Amino acid sequence: MTLAIRQIAKSFGQHHVLNSLDLELQPGELLCLLGRNGAGKTTLLRILAGLLKPETGSVWLNNQQIDYAESHARSNIGLVMHQPFLYEHLTGIENLRFYARLYQLADDETALEAALAQVGMQRFGGKPVRAYSRGMKQRLTIARALLHSPRILLLDEPYTGLDLQGSQIFNQLMLEQKQQGCIILMTTHDLSHALPISSRFAFLARGRVSDELTNENLSLENLETWLAEKLAKPLSAQKRAAA
Amino acid sequence: MKDWLHSVRTLVWKDLLQEWRSKDMLTAMFAFAILTLFIFNYAIELSPVNRAEIASGIIWVVIVFAGTLGLNRSFIAEQDQGCFDALVMAVPDVSAIYFGKMLTNWLVMLFVSVLILPIYSLLYNQSLFNAGFILVLVLGAWCYSAAGTLIAGMTVQTRMRDLLLPILLFPILMPVNMAVVKAAGGILAGAPLMDVQAWLVFLAAYGIIVTTVSIMVFEYVIRE
Amino acid sequence: MLFVNKNLKLLSFLAFLLVLAAFAMVLFYAPIELNMGIVQKVFYFHVSAAWIGMLAFLVAAVCGILYLNKKQLKYDFIAFSAVEIGLLFTAIANFSGMIWAKPIWNTWWTWDPRLTTMTIMAFTYIGYLLLRRGVDNPEKRARFGSVYAIIGFASVPLTFFSSRLLRTIHPTIFGADTGDMAMIPAMYQTMAVSIIAFTVLFAALLWHRSLLAARESELEILRAQTEVLEFGEVLDD
Repeated sequence: MTLAIRQIAKSFGQHHVLNSLDLELQPGELLCLLGRNGAGKTTLLRILAGLLKPETGSVWLNNQQIDYAESHARSNIGLVMHQPFLYEHLTGIENLRFYARLYQLADDETALEAALAQVGMQRFGGKPVRAYSRGMKQRLTIARALLHSPRILLLDEPYTGLDLQGSQIFNQLMLEQKQQGCIILMTTHDLSHALPISSRFAFLARGRVSDELTNENLSLENLETWLAEKLAKPLSAQKRAAA
Repeated sequence: MKDWLHSVRTLVWKDLLQEWRSKDMLTAMFAFAILTLFIFNYAIELSPVNRAEIASGIIWVVIVFAGTLGLNRSFIAEQDQGCFDALVMAVPDVSAIYFGKMLTNWLVMLFVSVLILPIYSLLYNQSLFNAGFILVLVLGAWCYSAAGTLIAGMTVQTRMRDLLLPILLFPILMPVNMAVVKAAGGILAGAPLMDVQAWLVFLAAYGIIVTTVSIMVFEYVIRE
Repeated sequence: MLFVNKNLKLLSFLAFLLVLAAFAMVLFYAPIELNMGIVQKVFYFHVSAAWIGMLAFLVAAVCGILYLNKKQLKYDFIAFSAVEIGLLFTAIANFSGMIWAKPIWNTWWTWDPRLTTMTIMAFTYIGYLLLRRGVDNPEKRARFGSVYAIIGFASVPLTFFSSRLLRTIHPTIFGADTGDMAMIPAMYQTMAVSIIAFTVLFAALLWHRSLLAARESELEILRAQTEVLEFGEVLDD
């Protein structure tokens, strides 16, 4: 079940965000996307989720082009974005029940309690989401994204607001998902947390993956040096001329 | 189709539950409706003579104004929490989101009407509990939420938000206003249902046309 | 379509000639109507302007459908331009109608259903312009504009039909059983030339305005680009 991203291009007006981007992900792989602010990381995730249409290029799963008009293709994807996708006036459990019903899953109390428990939120299920802290919302968001057992996970800054314990819980969940053959694409700036779970790091610049680094006993120091080098490099004169 | 209906049901359940928890929309709409009723009382001298004729107009204006208040709120949660994206990912077809929201808005408007009618009857000693009159209100509220849900889905994403909704919505609703006031006025004046049949058919046709067009174009309201 | 060429110049010139011809025919060729007198002559341009109003909003709706299907901004330029021009002609129709109504109906404004319909339609499209002003992203602006142009146009016949259900005092010109106004051939001919002249004028105006809309969009992009460039510079260094 390989996920292949081929020649994706997207621009807003004359501003080319993504420029014939190619990327391939294997099952059980977690790719960590790095890059400057505005490099196009979120845009790429939105395209992969089918929420944005690229100008050119296509996304392939198992050598079959994904047709986002099919609801099956969309329900195969779990999404964590900057916004939590939660209803403030509903309780944590009710939010999960709503999404479980939309995906036509079992919405009995035990299943939902279990989903809450895996992010360490079992005590807060009965509280309305508007009373949650940012980190608690993020935990619930992660539970919501995993609820329908998607095969592809797209996570935009999943560590936002999470405390140390929350980040550890999240990492543990991602390791489990990897073991089950899930394909995970994640953006973050939190290298120390991302390092133990990432299989690969990709640096996004000039609208494409400019460099990759495989995580084979990579030390945090080496990763930081690699990234610092990338970030220090000014954009080429060519890009400026093009823009 | 079964999946689609299931999604619609789930979305309506969620909206109603949310409204039940907060009661933001309902309390505001209800209070606003009562206040508008009071304003009318002083603005237009409601003598027992002209009362029967203009009751339909007043009731409809009260419901429309309160309904606009509700429509402005109806997509707030989706817009502010980004839920549109999550819903698009989860439903079999985007039109289910429109249809669910339209049903909720319809139900909320009818609920407000149910509260307003006895109060009006009490204040003015004029019974409005007439099957024909209620049928007209049900149809009118449907037309109203059919167009209103589509427009509100757009205005909530603009800079001017609540300012824009009535300006975009009222011209499109003008034929509904005409039909409701004429039909309801006729019924309250004692005309048999047959006499206002043309208006009832017109309301049904408007509802069907606008609902169908909205189902076809709603995808473009929330998706690029 | 969106470029200047000699066809556009030709079209503009043709529009000029036709409007001039229509004007001359109204003044010198068309007879003076017996009952209404000279003021009846306003009706040739009144009907033509009303027709352009309808046509413009139809064009906007069709371009809306095309935009949603093809996602090419040129359709949005045309739709937006058509609405602007349509509003202008609707205003002309309304004001010329008032000039006519004053001596004939003895009032500047009546709640005549057809007049009301026309005015409501104008408000629908003022709403269209306001909606566009509330959206910054050009893609989203085009999308919302298209959706609203479609639903707005769908409501026009409904408004018209509902006003037909009410009693109307407006003279029915075409296909009327009881002729409010007896038309002789010279009047028909003047009418036809006026309508053709206005239609050609509309096509020429639409072309020019769409070109301008395309330029405006380029300017908007250039402005946005300067901002992005500045932001990029800060990030780089």
